[in-house]
This record gives sequence, structure tokens and C-alpha cells, in this order.
Amino acid sequence: MISLAFHNLFQNKIRMLISVGGVALALLLILSLDAIFSGVEKRVTAYIDNSGADIWVSQDDVFNLHMASSSLPDSVARRVKTVQGVASVSPIMYLTNNVVAGDERNLAYIIGLPENAKFGIPWKVLVGRDLPEEGEVVMDRGVAENSGIGLGDDVEILGEEFEVVGLSEGTASLVNSVAFISQKDFETMRGSYDTISFLLVKVLEGESPEIVAEHIKARVRDVTVQTRVQFARQERQVVKDMSTDLITIMNLIGFLIGLAVMALTVYTSTLSRRREYGMLKGLGARNIDLYLTVLAQAILSVMLGFFFGLAITLLLTLVIPFIGINLTMVVSPASLIKVGAVSFLLAAISATIPIRQIAGLDPAMVFRRR
Amino acid sequence: MINSLNDKTLQISHVSKRYGAGTTEVTAVHDVSLAVSPGEIVLIMGPSGSGKTTLLSMLGALLKPTQGTIQLNGTIISALAENRLPDIRLKQFGFIFQDFNLLSALTALENVAIVAELAGVKPSEARRKAASLLIELGLSERLNFLPEKLSGGEKQRVAIARALVNDPMLILADEPTANLDSKIGHEIMRLLRRIAQEQGRSVVIVSHDQRIKDIADRVLWLEDGEIKDTVITLAPRASAGVAIDPVCGMSVKPEQAIQIEWKGQIYSFCAQGCRNEFIEDPQKFNLEVS
Repeated sequence: MISLAFHNLFQNKIRMLISVGGVALALLLILSLDAIFSGVEKRVTAYIDNSGADIWVSQDDVFNLHMASSSLPDSVARRVKTVQGVASVSPIMYLTNNVVAGDERNLAYIIGLPENAKFGIPWKVLVGRDLPEEGEVVMDRGVAENSGIGLGDDVEILGEEFEVVGLSEGTASLVNSVAFISQKDFETMRGSYDTISFLLVKVLEGESPEIVAEHIKARVRDVTVQTRVQFARQERQVVKDMSTDLITIMNLIGFLIGLAVMALTVYTSTLSRRREYGMLKGLGARNIDLYLTVLAQAILSVMLGFFFGLAITLLLTLVIPFIGINLTMVVSPASLIKVGAVSFLLAAISATIPIRQIAGLDPAMVFRRR
Repeated sequence: MINSLNDKTLQISHVSKRYGAGTTEVTAVHDVSLAVSPGEIVLIMGPSGSGKTTLLSMLGALLKPTQGTIQLNGTIISALAENRLPDIRLKQFGFIFQDFNLLSALTALENVAIVAELAGVKPSEARRKAASLLIELGLSERLNFLPEKLSGGEKQRVAIARALVNDPMLILADEPTANLDSKIGHEIMRLLRRIAQEQGRSVVIVSHDQRIKDIADRVLWLEDGEIKDTVITLAPRASAGVAIDPVCGMSVKPEQAIQIEWKGQIYSFCAQGCRNEFIEDPQKFNLEVS
């Protein structure tokens, strides 16, 4: 009966195209949206992941960067440095603001770096320098290109002019980019001295970041201490919390579109083969044989739709970086499992639509004239 | 003709079928009794609306009688629960239809094999059986053709192979020659005769085609749902303008028949198959001059 399902599906090419194409588009909607948000999750923690620090120390109850603010007295750096297992520390200043280039306003994490900073600096600079001095900024290459600026041009941050002295790569996501200025400029603009936003900690070789983090917690009060992995997880969680509703709604829309397409094609396909199914019943096929044929046909359609949808999504992940869109798409295994389950659900539900049709077929119809 | 019940493939006793109730009640079949022996060909004829299709549907366990019993190989199938009937239909009956009723998306081979698979035969074995039957029926070049690429006669031969694939004892044929031209019709009749005579299967045919009388052992005339007449047919004899096919015994018009000369005599055949069978071994036929 599987072969009957296969042949039935491929016999009417137009119906198959509509069915498979409709499902592919619906699943593409779910897959690509997941891929976009997976990409955002990955890129949103790019700065943390590439900071070079093993531990992030922040103000008490501050757990991430996005939409957060942290302020620590600079004495924290001296105290942390003395904790067992700590190799070195490096403070950064941080706030979220716009990098203004002409009429373009680009939301960015503004990072203030001390002279000779070792951690938290741009990890891949394509042109120019990686450490900005006073009046200088290192910004994301993609953002700079989209704003039509390059090395030596000026941008505005918090009302002050900065000269672009370096262009970094991998420092932008769909949400924002990262711009690096000097700690002195940061302090001057904010008017706050003797404070830092975060303290980045490198542990001694062979030491466990988790254990050293515990040591810091024990020695330094009123701070939040997290390993880099924990800190990145918190950052991703914020993005997830912000996007969950949107993803759920879009997934639901994709699911409903796919379901409508599949239900309609399975129903019309069964209707058009009513006489053939009736004949099979007449010959001795049981209802379950016919249900399984319809289900197999629906599963085949959905599987083809799934692979087409996946192929288009993967193609998009390759093409998008080349067309100037500042977007990274990542197809995650979790997303594949989810969309696979959605596909199976689509097939199963749509295959139940013609159950009444099949059950109601009179096997004696085989002896009736057409 | 009195036979014990066990000799009969099919035995139906006082079967009636009524539709509706009260003033709208219609009796489609009334008090029909019939026994069909192994290897026997029974032809049911009658005007349109006489109840032939209803009777055939009841014989094939597609419809339950309102009254009476239908017994197949010792099992009263009219008393069986609905969920047991598909298996009976699949394994005990072979169906042949006027419209062939082949699955349009499947090849000739697959159309036959799928019925064996439904009966629980493994796909590879089902395909082997299907191929063997189709080759036997002269369709070796057409195994992988879709129905739309087959002629009417070829489609009906595929349908016959499908009817035989599960080795049933009873073949039910509904107007098997109606959509076929004269030559192909003869070919199909020849096949049905072979199925009955050589394989010992019972064949019940519903048809308007008078030619089928030549191969039938009995002809029943059904009218207003009742059997009005039963004729036990005798082998047709040659007469003026009519020849007898020495292989199948059917009467043929010499001017339309396939003819060959053997030992100085002209023999007429209803179909190519009979001619070929004759050529293989003429001695085995009881020859009459045509």
C-alpha cells in the first residue's frame, strides 16, 4: 500500500507541486525564523564568547549585557585580583547607545576599554587598530559599510565626535553592534570616575572557572560572579524571552498554513480516487489499509516539503551574507527536531480529514456503472 | 442434478434483498436459490433492473441479504460479522468488472501484486506471482505499462490476473466482455472457460452478451428479482453459416473467424489464443469439420 501512496502522489504532478510546495513554504517560514533567531542568539553573545575572559563580574543582580546596566567601584578589580586562581583582570565600561553616522543611527553596545586592555577587545579587526585611543572608535565593518563610512571618517556617540580607526568583523547582530572607545572618553562622557561596568577575569592555567568564580563570590561582596558560559547563557535567555512570543505566533501561522494546504490536497486527492478506494474495498481491502495509504501519502508529501523547505533555508543561510544583510541564520538541531515533529503532526492531522470519506465508501459500488 | 452440499463451491438458499420499508419497500431479489459446482460456469442474464447486480453483490459478500443464506465452501458468509468479510472477499473471490477498475497510478504488475499484498503475501512474492500470471495471460511485454497505455483486452486480462492472484475458488464477473470488441471478447471468454475447466474454479457471470452462452454450463434468466428460467446448455453444433471453434467450443462465423488448414480441413477459431492452442497439439481436440 506504500507503493500505491507513492504512485498516487506522483501521478498528479500539479497536485503534488501544490501540496509539496505549500508545505515547503509553510515549513520554510518556521525553519527560517528559527534559523534567524538561532543566528541572533549566536551573534548576540559573540562579544562575550570572544572576550577572552573566563569569568564576568558585574553589579549585584546584573546577569547580562542586553538592556542592562552595571556599575562597580574600581576597588573590586584590586580585590578580585588577589583571589586564589585569578591570573589577571581587565575592566570594561559599558552602555547601550547609538553610533550616529550622518542620518544613520545604529544601536550598539558601547564598550570603554582601558589602555593596554587584554580582554574584551575586538577579536578580529580587518583594517586599522584594535585598541582605540582618546577620540577614536573601532566599529563593526558591516555597520560602517551600510552607513557609507570608512577609516578616518567621524561618527557621533553620546553627542561626541569619534574618528573611526578600526573596522572589526563579527561584531554585529540583527539586534545591535559593538563599538569600542577608550575608557577615558567613556568616563568623560558619563561624568563618572572610579567606577567600572564589568570586570573580566582570566583564571590561571589549569584552574576551573567555576571554582575560581566560587572563590570570588566568597571573597567579594555585593557582586554577581558568573563564568563566561553562564553569562552568555543569560544573555541568550534575554533574547529568547523577547522573541518567544513572536516565534510562537509565526510557528503557529506556519503550522496552520501547512495544515490547510495538506488537508485540502489530501482531501481532494482522496475524493478524486473515491472509486479506486471503493474498488479496493470491494476486493477486500480493509479501512485501515486505505487509511494507511492516505497517511503514507500525506507523510511523503510532508517529507518532501520538509526537505525542500530545509534546502531553501540552507540556501538562504549561504546567500544572505553575500547580499549585505546583517543577518546570520543558523539551522540548529533543535529546530530540525521541532520542524520534523511539526511535519509529522501536519501529516497525521491532514490524513484524518478523509477518514469519514473512506469509512463511508460502499464496497458494492464496484458493480455500479460509472 | 442433486449434489451434496460439500460438492458445491457456492450454495445460496432462498435469498431475498429488500430496500426501504413500508410503502417504499422495493424487492430487488426475491427467494433465489442456486448452487454452483467447482469448474462450473453459470451465466446470469436478464433485463436491466432485474436484480442481477444486487444478486452478484450478495454472492460476492459485498451486500448482506435481507433473508436467506449464502454458503461458500461450507461457511455461511451471510451470517459473518461485517469485519470478517474483507478477508473472505480477498481470499475466496476473484472479481472481474465491466470497467476493468484498474488503479490508474499502478502498472499492470502492481495492479495485480497489490491484491496479493493485501492478502498478506510478501511484496517480492506478490510481484513474482503477479508476473507469472500476467505472462501466462500473454502480457509479458506489458508488465510495466500503466492502464492508460493498455488496450481494453489487455486491461481485462490484467483484471483477470488480479482476480486469480489469491487463488480463489469462485470468480464473479460482471459484464466481462461489454467494453470489448468481438475478437477480444472471444479471447476473454476463452480465458474464463480455461479458468473453469483447467483450474476447476467456479465462475459466475452476469452479462447481456449472448455469446457467453457458448461457454456457460447453465444460463439463469433473472427477471423482477426472481429466477424465471434455468437452461442447461449443450455444446453448440455447426450449422449453416456457423462454425464451432474446436478448442473452446464456441460458435463462430467463419467469415469473421481466424482460420487454418490442417490435414486438408479448414478450422475456425474464435480468437488467436484458441488457434495457438490448437497448433500446439491438434490431436488432443475432438475434431469436427467446420
